[in-house]
Amino acid sequence: MSLLELNNIGKSFQQGEITVRALDNINLTVNEGEFAALVGPSGSGKTTLLNIIGGLDLPSDGQILINETEITALKDSQLADFRLFKLGFIFQAYNLVPVLNAVENVELVMILQGRDKNQSRERAEHYLNLVGLNNAMQQRRPSALSGGQQQRVAVARALAAGPRIVLADEPTANLDSENATALLDIMHRLSQEEKTTFLFSTHDVRVMERAERIITLRDGKVESDKWPAKELVT
Amino acid sequence: MNQPQLHRRHKELPLRMLLMMAWRNLWRQRRRTLITLSSIAFGFALAVLTIGLNDGSHNSMIRNAINMGDGHITIQDADYAAAPANHKYIENGQQVVEILKATGLSGSIEPRISLQILATTANNSVGAALSGINTLTDQWGKMLKPRIVEGEWIGADDHRGILVGDGMARKLKVDIGGKVVLMAGSQGGDSQAQLGRVRGIFDSSIDEMDDFLILSDLSLARLFLAGEGADLSLQPVTHFAVFLDDQHQMTALKKQAESAINNDNITVLSWQEMMPQLMQFIAIDDAGNYIFLLVILVMVVFGILNTVLMSVLERTREFGLLRALGMNRRHLLILVFYETTLLSLLAVLVGWIFGLATHAWFANYGLNMASLVGEGTQLMGTFIDPVIYSELSMARVIQITLLVFVTTLITGIYPAIKAARVTPVEALRT
Repeated sequence: MSLLELNNIGKSFQQGEITVRALDNINLTVNEGEFAALVGPSGSGKTTLLNIIGGLDLPSDGQILINETEITALKDSQLADFRLFKLGFIFQAYNLVPVLNAVENVELVMILQGRDKNQSRERAEHYLNLVGLNNAMQQRRPSALSGGQQQRVAVARALAAGPRIVLADEPTANLDSENATALLDIMHRLSQEEKTTFLFSTHDVRVMERAERIITLRDGKVESDKWPAKELVT
Repeated sequence: MNQPQLHRRHKELPLRMLLMMAWRNLWRQRRRTLITLSSIAFGFALAVLTIGLNDGSHNSMIRNAINMGDGHITIQDADYAAAPANHKYIENGQQVVEILKATGLSGSIEPRISLQILATTANNSVGAALSGINTLTDQWGKMLKPRIVEGEWIGADDHRGILVGDGMARKLKVDIGGKVVLMAGSQGGDSQAQLGRVRGIFDSSIDEMDDFLILSDLSLARLFLAGEGADLSLQPVTHFAVFLDDQHQMTALKKQAESAINNDNITVLSWQEMMPQLMQFIAIDDAGNYIFLLVILVMVVFGILNTVLMSVLERTREFGLLRALGMNRRHLLILVFYETTLLSLLAVLVGWIFGLATHAWFANYGLNMASLVGEGTQLMGTFIDPVIYSELSMARVIQITLLVFVTTLITGIYPAIKAARVTPVEALRT
C-alpha cells in the first residue's frame, strides 16, 4: 500500500504578466519506509514539490493522497493538524525556535499534539541522545550550538513526534562534510529503525549515495525515477 | 477514498508553553523592550501625577467651598433658592435640629441666618449680607478667626458685636468700635433697623466675603426674623449648614434628612446643588486634563505598537516555521497577544511604582505654586490654596490602571492578527 500518491500535480505562479509552470503533471507513488531523494538543477521544482507534499502550499492542479487522506481537499486548520501529526520537516536553515533550548525545541511539536509533558520531555531527550547531543548541549539555545548540532536538533524534532513522512529540504547544504555525513548516517539508520519515510530535496551526492530511490526533476517534470540499488542487483 | 480521519488536538491549548515563549520573546530585544517599558512607565507616572494634583486641587477647592459655604448639606426654605428673601426662613429651627440629630449623623449642625441688609454709617451706606452664626461653634469661626487683621472675634454674650471684611470696612469708613446701623425691609413693607458695633475686621482673600459680608451672633440676626413674625422661642433660622465628618455619607444622609423632615416648605440640598457653577468649573477643568491624558495614552499606544509590530515583522520566518510544524493561527494569535499582555502588565507595574512614588512625594510636600498665585487665589466663590497636594482615590487608581491596560491590550490586536495571517510557504522564503 502506498503512503504517498501524487496524481497529475501541477503548480503555476504568476510573475507579472507571465505564468510560470513550476510543476507539470507530476505522478508519483512513495511507499512506507522509503529513503528517497528528489534531485535536479536549481529551478527544477524540487522545493515547490516538497512544499506541496508538506501542505505548506497548494497545487494548481491534481490531487495528493497521504495515507489515503486527500490533503488537497483539507481546510487551513485541518492542514495544520495534518502537518502536526503526520509530517516532519527538516530545513536547510535549521529553523529552530531561538527562545527555546534544544530539548524544548524537540518537545514543542509533541506539546502541540497534546501529549503529556513528562512523556514529551522523555521522548525529546531520547531522540536528542540518538542524534548525539548530550545532556549539557540539550539545555542550550540554538545560538549556543554549532550548525551541525542545530541540524541534529532539527532531525530529532522531526522524528520525535512520530511522523509518517519526513520532508527534508537540502538538510546538508549548510553543513561541513563531517557533520553532513554523520547526520545522513543518523537519518538513514533511524529511517530503517522507525520505518519512517524520508523524502529529500537535494544536490548533495552523499544523500544520493544513501538514497534507495532517486527521482530526478527537470523543468517541473519527472525526468527519471530510479532505484539504483535494485538496478545494480538486477 | 476515505473521509480524513485526522487526529484531533487535545482540547486544552498549550497555554503554558505559549506564555513561556511570549515571556522569552519579550527579552530577545532587551534594549528595545526596556526603552518601550520606560517610555510607557514615564507616561503612566506623568498621568498619575497629573491626575493626583488635579484631583488634589479640585478637592481642596471643594473643601474650601464647603467650609466657607453652607456645609455638605444645606437645609433651607423650599422657595429660598429660587428667590432669596428675608421672610423665607425655617420657623421651627429647634425641631429640625432634633430631627437631624436623631438620624445619628456624625458631624456638626450649624444654624445660620442670612439676610440682605443695608449697612449704614455716617460716611456711607452699602448693601451687605448679614450672616448670623453661633460664634462659638460655627465652622466660619475656625476659618475666619485666623484671618482677623484688626480687633477680635465676637464673644459668646456679645449680642451687638459684628465683624466686617476689610473691603466693607473701607467702604463704610469704619474702624474697631465703630457703629453700623443694619437695616432691612420686611415682607409687610416696614423696615427694621438694628445697631451693630464693629469688634473685628477680617481679610479672607475672597472679595465676595471681604466686600459684602457682615458677621454677627445669631441673636442679633434673629431680631430681624422677629420683625418678619418669627417666634424666637422656636429658634428660627434661614438655613442649617450641616458639616459631615465623612463626606461619603452625604448622599445617604441627605435622603435620610429629607425623609425625616418631610416638610414641603423645607428643602434639603447637597453642596453640589448649592454650588453648580463650581461643579461646572471642575467638570470643564477635568475635560482639559482628560485631553492631556489622551495625549499620554496615544504615546503609550504608539510605544507598544512599535515594539510589538516590529517584533512580529522581524519574526515572519519564525512564524512560518511554527505554522509549518503544526501550530495553528489561533496559537500564533495567542502567542503575540500574550506578549502584548505581558508588556502591558510590566509597563503598568513599573508605571505605578514611579507614579505612586511621585504621588507620595507630592501628597506629603505638595506643589508650591506661591510664586505664581501668591498666597492663593479665589475662583468660583472658593479659595485655591497656593500649595497643591496630590490626592488619589481608589476609584481613580482602578480607572487609570484599567484605562492604560485595556488600551495597550487593544493595541496588541493588530500585531496578533498580522502574525496569525502568516502563510508558511511565503514566510519561509523570507
